Amino acid sequence: MTDSVFSTNELMVCEVARHIQDGDLAFVGVGSNGRAFTLAVGIPLVAIRLAQLTHAPDCSVHWGNLLGPDLSIQPRSIDQDVLTRWPAQACPLDTGIKCDMIARGAFDLCFDSAAQIDQYGNLNITAIGDYRRPKVRLVGSLAQPEHLAYIRRPLIMMDLGRKSFVENVDFITSVGHFANGQTREQLGAAPGGPALVITDKAIFDFNPVTHRMRLRSLHPEVELQQVLDNMAFMPEVPAQIATTKAPGARELELIRSSIDPNTTFLIA
Amino acid sequence: MKSKLVSLDEALAPIQSGCTIALGGALLRRHPNAAVRALIRNGVKDLTVLGWVTTTAVELLAAAGALRRYEGAYAGMFSYGLAPCFRRGVESGEIEVGDFSESTIIARYRAAAANLPFYPTTALLGSDIARLNPDQFKTIECPFTQRLLHAVAPAHADFTIIHGYASDEFGNVQWPVVRDSDDIDQLMASAAKRLIVSVEKIIPHSEVRKQPSLTYIPSHWVEAVVEVPFGAHPVACDTVYNEDHEHLRRYMASGIDNGEVQGYLDEFVNSIASHDDYLAKIGRARLDQLAAEVAAND
Repeated sequence: MTDSVFSTNELMVCEVARHIQDGDLAFVGVGSNGRAFTLAVGIPLVAIRLAQLTHAPDCSVHWGNLLGPDLSIQPRSIDQDVLTRWPAQACPLDTGIKCDMIARGAFDLCFDSAAQIDQYGNLNITAIGDYRRPKVRLVGSLAQPEHLAYIRRPLIMMDLGRKSFVENVDFITSVGHFANGQTREQLGAAPGGPALVITDKAIFDFNPVTHRMRLRSLHPEVELQQVLDNMAFMPEVPAQIATTKAPGARELELIRSSIDPNTTFLIA
Repeated sequence: MKSKLVSLDEALAPIQSGCTIALGGALLRRHPNAAVRALIRNGVKDLTVLGWVTTTAVELLAAAGALRRYEGAYAGMFSYGLAPCFRRGVESGEIEVGDFSESTIIARYRAAAANLPFYPTTALLGSDIARLNPDQFKTIECPFTQRLLHAVAPAHADFTIIHGYASDEFGNVQWPVVRDSDDIDQLMASAAKRLIVSVEKIIPHSEVRKQPSLTYIPSHWVEAVVEVPFGAHPVACDTVYNEDHEHLRRYMASGIDNGEVQGYLDEFVNSIASHDDYLAKIGRARLDQLAAEVAAND
C-alpha cells in the first residue's frame, strides 16, 4: 500500500536509481552516521537495490570492501559484525585491490559528499580556512580524490546550504571540472568529474563549456529562490526549469516494503 | 624457528621519542590501541605516525600530546565525527599533517615493500593535496609516454605496529577465513623495517601449518609478537569482538574538552599499570558482551 506522499529521501533515491544503467558497477563507501550516512551510503544503496529490482537487474556495487553484497538483506543496524558477515560475491584481499580497480576504470559511478563543493564541482573534505592553520581540520581525503579522478560518473550527494555550496572551496581535495585555473585536460586528469549534484531541493549538472554548476531540475514544490538562497554562488539557470520526477507508487512500495522496511538506510 | 613471543613492554622498549611509527587497522577495526596506551605510559613523545584510515590510535596519541606529525588518508572518529584532540592539535599548529589519499598511501607502502625509490601515481593531478605538499608529490614525466605523473616516496617507518587475530609463538600471524578486509595491514607489514605484532591469541604452530594460506604475516617479517586479548579495544577486532560504542561515546564526551581528556587519560591510560589492569578496568562483563555480540552471529 502506498500513497502519493513521499519523502525527500525517497525522491532522491528514485532520482539516483534513474541514473543507474544495467551492468553498472558503483562504488559506495561505509559512510559515517546520521544525515551524512543517509546521503553517502543509505540513499545510494537503496537506489542501487531499486534499480536491481526494476530496470537494471545486473547493476552491482562495491560497498566498503564488499564486492556484490546481497542487498536483499534488511538489517536493523549496521555494526562491525553485521558488515563482517554480510553475504557478498567477493571480499577482496585488501583495499589496494579496490584502489587498483578504481584507477583502471572498473567503476561506472560513485557517490560522494563533502563539507564544501564549489561552482566547478571541486570537493573539500580536508580543511576549512588555511590548510596549515585551519579553522576546522576535517578528516583528510580517503579515496575521494581517486573517485573524482577515475570514476566515470560521480554523483555528489549533499544537502543545499550556503556554507557548503561555496564559490571556491577552501581546499581542493578532489578535482571537479576546473581547478586552480585549469581544466581537467590541462591538469592531466582523465575525462569525467562530477556528473550530477543531487540535493534535498534540486538537481544540478555541469555546463561542459563553462564547467560551472547548472540547475537541472527543482524538486516538486521547491521554488527557484529557495535554492538560490541556499547557495553562496549563482549557478547557471536555464530559461525552462524542469521538475524532478516524483516517485511512482511501485517505487515507493519497493522502498518501504522490501528494500528498507526498518529505515536502516534512510535513517536521517 | 625462534620464538618471538615477548611481553608488550619488551616489544615496545626500543621505541623512543622522535621515532616514526606506522600503525595498522582501519576505521573502527584493529588499531593497536593496547600498544598505543603503553607507548603513552612510557612517556614516548614527538612521534611521526604513518597511518592509513585511523581513528582511536591517532586520537589517543594526540590527546596525550605525543603526536608531532601525522601522514595518512583519514584521521577522525568514523561514526562519532571529527577526532577532537587531533583536530585541535592541527588547528593550533601543534600537530603537522601530511595528507595522502588512499591509493597514494598504498603507493608509498608498495614502494617500501619492493625496495623502490619511488612509486608513480596519477591520482592527485590537480588536487591541493599534491599542490600544497610539494615535498611529498614530485612532478615527473613518464619516460615511455611523456605523460605527467607524481612520484611519491616510500613509506619508511622505524617501527610498524599491527594488531592481528592470531599467531604462533614464532610470529606467523593468521587471519580468519571470514573477515573485514578493508585495510592494508598485510602491505604495511610487508614494508616494515621493525615489525611488532600484537594478537588476540597465541595458537600452536601445528594449527598454522594446517592452513598456511591464512598466514598473512610470516615470522620472517616479525621482530616481536605479543598476546594482547582485546588489544584493539575500544575498537573492534572483526570476528572476535565488536567495537565498544559505550566507551567510544564516553571518550567523545570527554574529548570535547582538554581538561576532561586529561581525566580520561588518567583513568584509562596513565593510572593503569598493564593491559591486564586495563581489561579489569573495562570489566569482564562488558568485554564478554562485546565478544558475545560477535559469537551470536556465528
